[in-house]
Amino acid sequence: MSQEPDLLTRRHFLRTSILGAALSWTVPIFIERTFSLLNAEAAETTTQIATGKDHPILVVLQLAGGNDGLNALVPFADDLYYRARPTINIPRDNVLRLDGYVGFNPRMASLKNLFDQGKLAVIQGVGYPNPNRSHFRSTEIWQTASDADKYLKTGWIGRYFDNCCNGEDPTVGVTIGSQLPQTFTAEKNTGIAMTPGGRLGFGKEADASEQQVFNELNGITQDHDLSSGASIGSLDGPSEPKLSAIEYLQRTALDAQVGTDKIGAILKRTKPEAVYPKTPLGNELSLIARLISGGLPTRVYYTSQGGYDTHNAQENSHNNLLGQLADALSAFSTDLTSKGIWDRVLVMTFSEFGRRVAENASKGTDHGTAAPMFICGGNVKPGLYGNHPSLGTLDQGDLIHAVDFRNVYSTVLNRWMKAPASKILGRDFNALSFV
Amino acid sequence: MKLEQTKPGGSRNSSMLSQLSKEKWTYDTAAHLAARAGFGESPSRLEQWSQQGMEATIQQLLRPDNDTTPPPSSLVPDQFAELREQVRDAHSPDEKMQARRALRQATNRQLYDLINWWTRRMLTTPAPLVEKMTLFWHGHFATSALKVRSPYKLWQQNETFRHYALGNFGTLTKAISRDPAMMVYLDLQASRSQHPNENFARELMELFTLGEGNYSEPDIKESARAFTGYRVDRSEEFRFVGNQFDGGAKTFLQQTGNWNGDQIIDIILKQPAAAKFISNKLWKFFAYEDADSQLIDKLAELFRQNYEIRPLLETIFSSEEFYSPRARDAIVKSPVQYVVQSGRTLGVNLPGGRTLFTVYQRMGQVPFYPPNVKGWEGGKSWINTATLTFRYQLARQLVLGIRLVNEQPAKTPLPSPTTQSSPLAQASPAVQTTPMTQTASLTAQNVVRLPALQVDQLVTAKDRKDPEAAVRKIYARAFQTTPNPQLFDRILDVAKLKPLPLADDAIRDLVALMMMTPNYQVC
Repeated sequence: MSQEPDLLTRRHFLRTSILGAALSWTVPIFIERTFSLLNAEAAETTTQIATGKDHPILVVLQLAGGNDGLNALVPFADDLYYRARPTINIPRDNVLRLDGYVGFNPRMASLKNLFDQGKLAVIQGVGYPNPNRSHFRSTEIWQTASDADKYLKTGWIGRYFDNCCNGEDPTVGVTIGSQLPQTFTAEKNTGIAMTPGGRLGFGKEADASEQQVFNELNGITQDHDLSSGASIGSLDGPSEPKLSAIEYLQRTALDAQVGTDKIGAILKRTKPEAVYPKTPLGNELSLIARLISGGLPTRVYYTSQGGYDTHNAQENSHNNLLGQLADALSAFSTDLTSKGIWDRVLVMTFSEFGRRVAENASKGTDHGTAAPMFICGGNVKPGLYGNHPSLGTLDQGDLIHAVDFRNVYSTVLNRWMKAPASKILGRDFNALSFV
Repeated sequence: MKLEQTKPGGSRNSSMLSQLSKEKWTYDTAAHLAARAGFGESPSRLEQWSQQGMEATIQQLLRPDNDTTPPPSSLVPDQFAELREQVRDAHSPDEKMQARRALRQATNRQLYDLINWWTRRMLTTPAPLVEKMTLFWHGHFATSALKVRSPYKLWQQNETFRHYALGNFGTLTKAISRDPAMMVYLDLQASRSQHPNENFARELMELFTLGEGNYSEPDIKESARAFTGYRVDRSEEFRFVGNQFDGGAKTFLQQTGNWNGDQIIDIILKQPAAAKFISNKLWKFFAYEDADSQLIDKLAELFRQNYEIRPLLETIFSSEEFYSPRARDAIVKSPVQYVVQSGRTLGVNLPGGRTLFTVYQRMGQVPFYPPNVKGWEGGKSWINTATLTFRYQLARQLVLGIRLVNEQPAKTPLPSPTTQSSPLAQASPAVQTTPMTQTASLTAQNVVRLPALQVDQLVTAKDRKDPEAAVRKIYARAFQTTPNPQLFDRILDVAKLKPLPLADDAIRDLVALMMMTPNYQVC
């Protein structure tokens, strides 16, 4: 494939592909390039699926900005909800009821279907003690799984890599996006950011000696081959502060070459088996489904959906986000089910905090605390978990969490990933029973 | 020895900030300053700087000649009013969707032009430190076009950063609290006395001045009340609406009074944490990460006297520590630095329009589109497998002449008083809009290629017959230092394989090779 940032492809893709019509200019271009590659090759290839018995896979989906849990999982039976939100409430009759007290936002109908099929667990009122209302600090707390007053250098998934994933394969964790989350920050073994666009190299016209010099300058040498188990550096700045900027660049160059070679090969032989919504999240989950079915040895995938910081006129924007989330997850479920691997996959959403119970003067909501987490997968034990936080007993206008997020992480690590959760999380957190 | 160690201020750290002695000022230190305080300079300019000495050079950066770049005259207040009306008055959902699309496209076009305008300005400016600090303040008081959607407001904010770039931090912070783009971004324009919106007050303390942990949640709620009554009017100007202001008593950082917004900022700046927070961020931006806390304390002590930015920068740029081995090659070039410096020092042609937007996007930094209110993380986070691969692909494209889709001029003229074509396209000699014949069979007449790098500006006819001389000339521009022998020799080995005299494409290969090294990614 082309070595160039082929800007024509984008236009061509927008005109011709099935995804084209609704793609806005904000869609990350690497995603588009992936699908244009797919379009070009789909006709001649057949999908190969790595079957069954391999390791379990976790997909972490960040809802960035602070998801308003109360308008996603609506306590429709509680008058206090309607009193606190006179203008932005979800009318009782529109709520998709899960039990006698809560139900989904009407835009989450496809997620309600997953719930009814027994593929979705909802953990209510998840948070942590002494909640921090800063986006950045609270995200860091969720990503490192620290106490609110402690600072950890590594991410909870990074510590899982360090503890449980021997070998030096950089594709052990894959982030869809151009920024690596702190969740992946590790002592030794971290994932890569997804780059299906092209492989690292001097260029197609380069002769062998130039390629060799290029490799040397970038620290790419023959013995840095995957099979030799050569050292793979971390990709996230803070995780290896001892590396100089130049050393860090050399390691990244090597990882890029290893990772893109493997991913490129997989994308040539896989395709989606469901119609995904034409949204960034839909594209990203579709890509993850292909990488899983193509047999990439990745344990954890990470992607995020932004826009949840709804301080102002939130009704339409928040409902749309929830609709996009539900539809993308539903397509992902359909795709992986027909690929026969939905049983191996667990998707877990999280957001740095929920929002204040009372609406603000701008028909929006300010930073709050506890919110629900959604867990779906072929092997999930469905249902509602945890008690919904009281709307009557608040702390500074915010919900008091019912479940510590580390109980959820502990469950995922112990019961799903078969990993030593207490070692990774620093102490014991009781597991829930959703898997 | 013992006496010296106990003497206050006599520690290693005060000497860290002591001035670089005259004999240590060289071509390399001048080049280091040029890349950090700006976007790199030509070898002849660096030679001149090394001759004139450090003090004269720093003064020139701090008090530069006027930049005569014309403003982006296609931007006027409320210029999409008609298009917005069309959205509002649409009769059917279909019509509404089309009107929305027209509004979105018109806005995006103007934003692309704004990004291009600033890029050209950084490329050609005689005041590089002013532009560099404008970039710093943009990352500090981060505001994104994704939410603001007004090219005019964002340009005005950019000019505010530029105006106060080297001025007073307190004045700048107050100006930003009244900045229409910021007010939209952090919902300040919707904050009423009965229901103050906390978004701005929180970020003011957490991200703009004090840093997390130096204030309480009640401080946020109280100070939010002081910033009520701030509005943006139809002409996109700040307006204070007294009857929406909460003039009651507020207790903020242990002080009670009927504070207004400016007084809140004054109280904040009295906190030692504020001077430390900004000093640390500036040192990290210009020198290196994770500085000793004593060094930052020293800078903060100076800064806190009056929050003047110029003397603080003068201290940083004059210090021995700024030129120490720890600081050399320690900073990963931001995408903006990479693009502008490549244009400024190597003379590669930069694309404009949506192509430039896409280039920045794939590298992880689009001006006017910071990812969130915290700005760009910077440092090593610029580099991961995705962005590094793209940088290497881009290097070759820039040298050969980037291939791009020829964007058609707007079909409907924008509702703007200045209906001539945007002056942005002609703002710089480096902009090339002439379509060239495309040989590939890639579909279309609408594919153009920018001209390849003009190699005559890098090497003479005589250099072409001498690989070592040619590599030396290019190396000086690419890496802005005297040669590192190991790196130099490897590139020379490649040059020696090329037939003499070196052809244009051979020179271009060498430039691209240098750009595709870890060393080129740092400064």
